Amino acid sequence: MLERILIVFRKELTDNLRDRRTLMGALFYPLLGPLLMLLLFNVIATQFSEQIDAVLRLPVAGAEHAPGLVQFLEQNGAEIVPAPANPEDEVRLGNYDVVLIIPSGYADDFSAGRPATVRLVVDNSRQTASVMVDRATRLLEAYSAQIGALRLVARGVSPTVGEALALEEMDVATPQSQAASFLNLMPYFMIFSVFIGGTGIAIDATAGERERGSLEPLLINPVARGELVLGKLGAVIVFTLASVLETLLGFAVMLNFVSLEQFGLRISLDPRVLAGIFLLTLPMMLLAASLQIIIATFTRSFKEAQNYLSFLPLIPALPGMFLAFLPIKAELWTMLIPTFGQQLLINQLMRGEPVSALNVAVSALVTLAVALVLIFAAAQLYEREQVVLGR
Amino acid sequence: MIEVRNLYKAFKKVVAVQDVSFTAPDGCITGLLGPNGAGKTTTLRILYTILKPGKGTAVVDGYDVATQGRDVQRRIGVLPDSIGLYPRLTAREHIRYYGRLHGQSGATLEAQIDDLLKLLDMNDIADRRTEGFSHGQRLKVAIARALVHQPQNLLLDEPTNGLDVMSTRAMRAVIRRLRDEGKCVLFSSHVMQEVSALCEQIVIIARGQVVATGAPDELRQATGQPNLEDAFVAAIGSEEGLML
Repeated sequence: MLERILIVFRKELTDNLRDRRTLMGALFYPLLGPLLMLLLFNVIATQFSEQIDAVLRLPVAGAEHAPGLVQFLEQNGAEIVPAPANPEDEVRLGNYDVVLIIPSGYADDFSAGRPATVRLVVDNSRQTASVMVDRATRLLEAYSAQIGALRLVARGVSPTVGEALALEEMDVATPQSQAASFLNLMPYFMIFSVFIGGTGIAIDATAGERERGSLEPLLINPVARGELVLGKLGAVIVFTLASVLETLLGFAVMLNFVSLEQFGLRISLDPRVLAGIFLLTLPMMLLAASLQIIIATFTRSFKEAQNYLSFLPLIPALPGMFLAFLPIKAELWTMLIPTFGQQLLINQLMRGEPVSALNVAVSALVTLAVALVLIFAAAQLYEREQVVLGR
Repeated sequence: MIEVRNLYKAFKKVVAVQDVSFTAPDGCITGLLGPNGAGKTTTLRILYTILKPGKGTAVVDGYDVATQGRDVQRRIGVLPDSIGLYPRLTAREHIRYYGRLHGQSGATLEAQIDDLLKLLDMNDIADRRTEGFSHGQRLKVAIARALVHQPQNLLLDEPTNGLDVMSTRAMRAVIRRLRDEGKCVLFSSHVMQEVSALCEQIVIIARGQVVATGAPDELRQATGQPNLEDAFVAAIGSEEGLML
């Protein structure tokens, strides 16, 4: 039995290794995750470092109405420049991040002790301007608080009377947290790699075999249908295995190439963690390969199979997408969902958190059990007359 | 030897084979003649284990196709309805793959492959990938991989369909040679010329039923027609779907 499985297995491997299209797909897609993350990290890093180091260049219209305010701004690191003729349009077009307008009534209101209106022109839909806008707003608020306090003192009232709350903001919305949330995408890309690596060969060995008309003669050979399915499954798993290893290697290279220290992140991707992630993906490979074979066998043509199978990686990856933004703990019930449990466990491994052996065992066994049922179902599918005739 | 008794097969409500019985002995070429859609391919598919009979029995060398499929498969060489090849494998690799699936290996298998390549005069294409092969070349590969395990019984579905004159003559020579080796050859065709040129025994099928069986002379006598072609038409009851 094993001998015949190996004959089919070897034939499928030889055949598909000669297919440039299958091969290119199998080699390129696994690198998608690491490359995308590399890009994201670089964008965040450059964007924030540029804005934080930059001087706040603040265009001010009507600076002559408020010499005191302008002086305050200059003392606090802002560089005052003349405002453009049409501030609103200029900000909308993105030529300026922010423009301060001081109306002519400012001096009168200020002297009379009424709240003096100043106008800040911003475009809140532009993320890149947010740092400059925040800095300008904070400076204006500081000036307002300072003058207010002076006025209270002049009237013999303690300035603290006017402050019911002492608000202290602890800013965590820094590049660190953003980078960390992107790193949460890594388990997602691992699953993606598991479900994309064998796509080409799975289609070729099933829907392709029937469409070429080579299935009918193949089935006349004295080989059990189950043996054929196992041989093909084995070949699909080899491609999946290569894909996962490639993705892991990509991440390993990327995380050493981009220094995560600059984001204040401590992510350990030493060889032991990589090996752990690899072991976690093994049961999923069996699951992915058998799913791909079943779906591709059911479809009527090569094209149809391609449509379904390229959609497949998105389904198990959906929980992973949420995981990137919604923290869910690795509890026992989550281990009952194949691919979801593994994503949580990969996440834990990556962060150097302790991983429960029970969780690993439960998730591996459940996934394996589902995979075995699917393999059995695939073999049954090939026992039917319709498998040759199409539907 | 192939024995078919009262074979019946329906797909949902469409009856493809109504009642087919015949015996194809060893050392003899038996032709299944009938118009398109008469049930020839379905009959052959049941014989080569791809379909299960609805009713009736079919036995190859004493093994029942429905219950002893694996034993039947070891004793038949088949040119099926579809003869798809793997475009990225060479002709030789195709033959080797099937030889291995039949449990052959090593020097014996390689020698057998060389013999087949010579027999079918395909040494020039042996180590080319089959992508871009002509119909005749593809057919040769399909025949070669069907013969690699030296089966006693041969089932050929329209073996000369779409072949040019030279290839048809070569194919006939191969079929005759196999007959001379004592094999049981059963082939289907809707071409009268083909059947009359090759067969010692003819089974005429129409609308899923056997309408006449016998040697060419017997068929002429039975239908009272001096000409074999007229005998076919008389047996089938119409000229539709037949080719000269």
